[in-house]
Amino acid sequence: MVKKVSTKKIIKGTSFYLLIIIILLWTLLPLAWLFLSSIFPYKELISNRLGHWIPSHATFKHYLSFFNPEEDISSRFLAAMRNSLIVASVTTIICLFFGSLAAYAVVRIEFRFKKTMVLSLMFIRMLPTITLIIPFFIIVNLIDTRLINFFGADVHLFDSRSLLIILYTSFTLGFVIWIMRGFYLTMPEELEDAARIDGLTRLQTVFKIVMPLSANGLVATGVLAFLLAWDEFILALIFTRTENAVTLPLFIAELGSQYIHDFTQISAAGVIACLPPFILVLIFQRFIVSGLTMGSVKG
Amino acid sequence: MTKREMSTKSLLLILVLPAVFIILIVILMPILFSFVISLNKATPRLGGINLKWRGLLNYYNFFFKNPEFWNSIKLTLYFTIVSLIIELILGTGVALVLNRKFFARSLVRALILIPWAVPTVVNARLWEWIYAGNNFGALNGFLKVLGLLAKDNNVVWLGFDTPFANVPLLGAFFNWMGVPRALNMIIIADTWKVMPLVVFLLLAGLQQIPKNLYEVGSIDGANSLQKFRSITYPYLKPIYLVILVLRTMELFRVFDIIYILMQYSIRVVGIYTYEVGMKFLKFGQGSALSFLVALFIMGFTLIYIKLFYKEEV
Repeated sequence: MVKKVSTKKIIKGTSFYLLIIIILLWTLLPLAWLFLSSIFPYKELISNRLGHWIPSHATFKHYLSFFNPEEDISSRFLAAMRNSLIVASVTTIICLFFGSLAAYAVVRIEFRFKKTMVLSLMFIRMLPTITLIIPFFIIVNLIDTRLINFFGADVHLFDSRSLLIILYTSFTLGFVIWIMRGFYLTMPEELEDAARIDGLTRLQTVFKIVMPLSANGLVATGVLAFLLAWDEFILALIFTRTENAVTLPLFIAELGSQYIHDFTQISAAGVIACLPPFILVLIFQRFIVSGLTMGSVKG
Repeated sequence: MTKREMSTKSLLLILVLPAVFIILIVILMPILFSFVISLNKATPRLGGINLKWRGLLNYYNFFFKNPEFWNSIKLTLYFTIVSLIIELILGTGVALVLNRKFFARSLVRALILIPWAVPTVVNARLWEWIYAGNNFGALNGFLKVLGLLAKDNNVVWLGFDTPFANVPLLGAFFNWMGVPRALNMIIIADTWKVMPLVVFLLLAGLQQIPKNLYEVGSIDGANSLQKFRSITYPYLKPIYLVILVLRTMELFRVFDIIYILMQYSIRVVGIYTYEVGMKFLKFGQGSALSFLVALFIMGFTLIYIKLFYKEEV
């Protein structure tokens, strides 16, 4: 039997796929342009090249210059890369460990100010970062003058990775507790009761039953926490200066203002900064989406 | 209470304690300190700070004596509301499209999520380069290739002129709001990055709708709009609330993208707070402003909850 396909249906189907193509173009063209800009030779990029989007002599030298120790730019770039990786990873581990335990306990025990605590976590999330910046600026200044008096000019909190980890923890921890709380709210308590009837202590239950069961939630929350820390800009802008602690976002922001606007270089740095989050998001896509929804909807 | 229950409770308390300790030291104490500062005239000195008690005067002055504050609120409201409207309408549209079955759907969905992973600073730099107001700017080049822009005409997209200045009502509106063209272009750049999040949250909601509801709707002769209103919307309602709260929080506090692209020249309240607090080092006023921002966001949240759950109360 020949299926009768009406023209109306064809038009509908075509316009549907057209919509998808438009959505994809809108999503991907800016990124494609970022990558193409990074492999243009500088002279060609700023030549008169109307309607000419692909470099005739593609080059990866902007990428290589970041990794070549003989180039001026490379030491600051490598330091920024290292600092960003260390600060984001350590922050993620700290927040995930303490945050998930806290979230679990908050869900499982009743105490008097529980509701107040959950609500104040919510209020804290509404404060702009600058609320934290001003007190920290004063406290760090206070501590550093003492430290420098005692130990000399080399010992200070300002412009150190440790300070950044403390600061990033302060805005990531609440977020982690919030999302993990949503996750544990959906986890049935019967499972844990059964485990304890089988003779496991509560602590064993937490580490042998609860943690493995919440692996999905932990992964999702961990990726989100890492992305938050990787993305952070304003704290790094104020509390870091030198290669001791400068992060990748700050490095990229400076590239645009301090030197000439060499967009081949900016784009190459941008592509590199995108790689870790892209890899994480593509690998853990499913977890992230479920993490985002559970944290927010169950809140 | 049995011994076992007791030990359970103390163990759970031990689990919370480290986090509570961290929160106390790095979140609550700084915030309380910040609040105390906001009640003072605070100026930095070497290794410390000078405080002079002012009570609520900092707050009072912003509210009743400072047109610059209200200008920044006006710009921020524009930025927040316009972004929200675009994100919700486009986000719903894209989510509805991606919710249907089609060729390579999971690949398309994975690709759609990518802009959300782009760091904000990279996003700012990327769009700065697209908007570049010379021959090399991608947007100018694109419009010229399409023939929408004369070959010798270069638009400075991140400029300060009033957009749609010759369109009767619209031009007057933008002029009155003090909205420069750059702010509109930044809304587009920011939307590009955040849309995937909105789409994915809505998709998760759409997947919970039982398919047979739509069949029932079709039998009853409902058109697509009616089906959306009576079947889809109730399921998406809690998600819309989440999106509104989350996005208002981020939009109202916006700083990074505007600072990187325009420095202090578009004073939304985030930029204004930063300028007062960290550029002019008026810590008291800066802190007061930051708490005012949180109050505005809280006000929004309460309004949303009232609007969404009016009928159930």
